[in-house]
Amino acid sequence: MNFVTAREKGLIACHFCSTLCKLPENITTEDGEEIELHCPCCQSEIHSRIPNSLSRTWALLIAAIILYVPANTLPIMTVTLWGDGQPDTIMSGVIHLMDGGMWPLALLIFIASIFIPILKLIILTGLMLSIHFKINWKAKDRTVLYRITEFVGRWSMVDVFVIGILVTLVHFGNTATVSPNIGSLSFAAVVILTMFAAHTFDPRLIWDSCAEIRKRSNKESQ
Amino acid sequence: MEETQQHHSNTQTSQQQVAIHQLACHDCDLLQVIPPLEVGQAARCIRCDALLYRNQKNSVDRSLAFAITGLILFVIANMFPLLSLKALGVVQDGTLLSTSLSLFNAERPLLAVIILFTTIIFPATTLVGTIVVLIQVKTNRINEYTALVFRFLRSTDAWGMLEIFMLAVLVSVVKLGDLADVIYGLSLYAFCLLVITLTLLSYSLNPHDVWNSLRNYRGCNI
Repeated sequence: MNFVTAREKGLIACHFCSTLCKLPENITTEDGEEIELHCPCCQSEIHSRIPNSLSRTWALLIAAIILYVPANTLPIMTVTLWGDGQPDTIMSGVIHLMDGGMWPLALLIFIASIFIPILKLIILTGLMLSIHFKINWKAKDRTVLYRITEFVGRWSMVDVFVIGILVTLVHFGNTATVSPNIGSLSFAAVVILTMFAAHTFDPRLIWDSCAEIRKRSNKESQ
Repeated sequence: MEETQQHHSNTQTSQQQVAIHQLACHDCDLLQVIPPLEVGQAARCIRCDALLYRNQKNSVDRSLAFAITGLILFVIANMFPLLSLKALGVVQDGTLLSTSLSLFNAERPLLAVIILFTTIIFPATTLVGTIVVLIQVKTNRINEYTALVFRFLRSTDAWGMLEIFMLAVLVSVVKLGDLADVIYGLSLYAFCLLVITLTLLSYSLNPHDVWNSLRNYRGCNI
């Protein structure tokens, strides 16, 4: 089957309202800079592909990978009972819950705070590398992987909210207090940076690189 | 050329049928023609299976109803405590707003701002903005700011995280249950209903209905 993309037809689909706009023939000014195009329907700036998608995604992804280390090694909160403070990291919090017999809760926190962030980092890095090295591997499955990262990422915020609620409620002077530590901030930063990274990544690049490979192999066979 | 999901096979009046001639898939940029869809049908991309278009019954009316309900529930959810903790004869209240205020007091202003935006500001702008835009669409009073407001709503859609906050409330209740008495506040019931209403709103709202009205307003039919 012959697939035609909007770009091959000289059309741009608006990111917001999906209006198809004709790409003008001259898209560079006299200075050689690209002119800004605006959607006639919703006035947003339109691009055939998200500009600098790869480098922006790399930047956000690398920042997230770096912050992932303090997020997991530094304590996220300190529970002080009768003046005796005990700092907890994400993993030690999960282990405490398991020791206390609350394994469904431990599993939930493990999935939301450890499994999902690392899954997102691995999937996004894999997608980026597959585009860089032009690997022609199941474009549809890669798009599905991308959709999973985009959908599931926000649920990691659950641990940040739990810290917020505990800090608010457990506030009994010298008897019992919970205070947030720097690890919780780096963890929140990891979640937000990976959300932005998934947002700036353009899944159409997966299909572009596959089309390019196909074109090249067609030329070679002729 | 399309794969359509058929839920209702009965005939509908032609008024309820929506004809969009051509769309480019937002995930793979493939150009495809969408046939007139009947109520309850959805069109998916033939190459990457992305959801392209849904035709829902009374999308504008239903979404407006859900948004107004949501706004009322949002006000109630913010008026009273969600949870209270009772230990040693002292009761500590926790409201939606106090979660972020207590992090300000604990000298984590960045975390406080993240929680403030994701649990109060973005849900509030979503509800108010949706009501304003849908009333404008319903009464044909679209103006030059409608597109701007709706674009803001679409891009902040993923950042309202009340359903994740609800999961965090559940986690906190189980965690604190062993240590002290947890008292469910009046707002908790409103809050649970609010989360359900927001989910129904995001399911019933069809952004294409708003964009189609905007296209008619600007006279740029595709």
